[in-house]
Amino acid sequence: MRVNVDLRLKDVPGQLIRALEPVSRNGGNIVGVVHRHDQISAGRIGVNLTFDVPSEKVLEKVQAEWSGAEVDLMRIENIFETYPLEYVIVGDVSAAEMKRITEGIQALGQVESIDVKYSISSSKDKAAHISGKVRDRDIIKKSNKFMRERAKRSGFVIIRGFGD
Amino acid sequence: MDVALVGFGTVGQGVAEAIATKNHVLEQSLGDKVRIVAAFDSSTYAVDKSGLDPLDLVKRKAAKGKLGKVRKDSIAEMLKALDYDTLVEMTPTNIKDAQPGLSHIRAALGKGRDVITSNKGPLALKFRELANLAEKNECELRFEASVGGATPVINMARELLVCERICSIRGIMNGTCNFILSRMESEGIPYEPALREAQQMGFAEADPSYDIDGIDSACKAAILANAIMGLDITVHDVERTGIRGINLDAVNLAMQERKVVRLIGEVTSRGAEVSPRLIPRGHPLSISGTLNLFHIRTDLAGEITVAGRGAGRYETASAVMADIYTVMKLRRSIGQRD
Repeated sequence: MRVNVDLRLKDVPGQLIRALEPVSRNGGNIVGVVHRHDQISAGRIGVNLTFDVPSEKVLEKVQAEWSGAEVDLMRIENIFETYPLEYVIVGDVSAAEMKRITEGIQALGQVESIDVKYSISSSKDKAAHISGKVRDRDIIKKSNKFMRERAKRSGFVIIRGFGD
Repeated sequence: MDVALVGFGTVGQGVAEAIATKNHVLEQSLGDKVRIVAAFDSSTYAVDKSGLDPLDLVKRKAAKGKLGKVRKDSIAEMLKALDYDTLVEMTPTNIKDAQPGLSHIRAALGKGRDVITSNKGPLALKFRELANLAEKNECELRFEASVGGATPVINMARELLVCERICSIRGIMNGTCNFILSRMESEGIPYEPALREAQQMGFAEADPSYDIDGIDSACKAAILANAIMGLDITVHDVERTGIRGINLDAVNLAMQERKVVRLIGEVTSRGAEVSPRLIPRGHPLSISGTLNLFHIRTDLAGEITVAGRGAGRYETASAVMADIYTVMKLRRSIGQRD
């Protein structure tokens, strides 16, 4: 998981390392550090830190180590990286089928958003565009498998996105 | 180098003409020329130890529809008895049992002769068997012309990118499908008329299923997976969806998202797949028309794209000539070493 935090540290040399070390020591990966020189008050400076940690448990450990190192945690926010999910389906794009598809994808979990757009056509075989964002790349694989199964069952053609 | 040409249709005739016009290049570069000591079409043959005139063979075929004497034995049997250095196998692809090309290649490799082929069938069905036979008998099996026509994807990946880890190869592997999808998108022509147009222009066969159902692309994907990724698969292991059923609504929806629909062959270390995909406009794979294109992702070089004509008399001959050059060069270096 990716985390973004606002920290406050003593404005003296060597303090930044006290904020960064708990992250790396616990297997985290530092993505970005921004000094907030506009946020100096009472001898403490603001630092915005973005990092990846493998789990909530590790994040708790990092927070505990900051607390012991006089690093004040002012704000914490999880940032979810998202991956695009996209299909065009051709054939039966009835409202009932689209409901089954969108509910099926959502049931895979980690789905941030999902949108459906229909073609405007008088032809028998219509098309629909399904796009969405998921928080886990593996969900795209699962979704592709789900779509292939639905296509076989309902006899529609799938045109898959290119992001997987 | 003495060669036996097997298959004297469009590709075979193109190769004979290319040998005639490019032999001086081989001689200048390698100090040796190609001598055609045997040529076979589906029913006749010509053999001459001192060499057959390639242009005379093409003329004979055009004028009389045959190369020489009517053949009584199978080509495979005759190849066992013939004296030649390299077999150039250019019979048509047969995806059911790979014959007769498979027997020709087995006969040549079994005898320790180098093989150059444009025939996808034997490679898409029996790649590992043939590669092992070539290795066992210390001879070359080269097949640049089998994938992408004039587009040098196999030799580039296996020779120029030899130090790279190739992560994936994605490609437009069938010009006919790409022509149909491009016409639907650029002119708003429905699928059926676009297919008929492809047939009228000679890009698609009367029975277009080999192209539009993705079988041709799947053969190429299987060959790339075996030759470049080191897998052991056949065309039947390639997950395959063609372009049949794709309508204008789908193409238009893709366009609204600034994307195009393309039939993409994809090869990774996990396997191979052929399926229609939504390609962002401007991406190399969004190319229009009949060209073939391969987009290779590697660990050091990053992304490499190579495009070219995927079929045709001289385009395929170009790939065969590149393999002829390499085999001659290897034979020369072995000779120098000995």
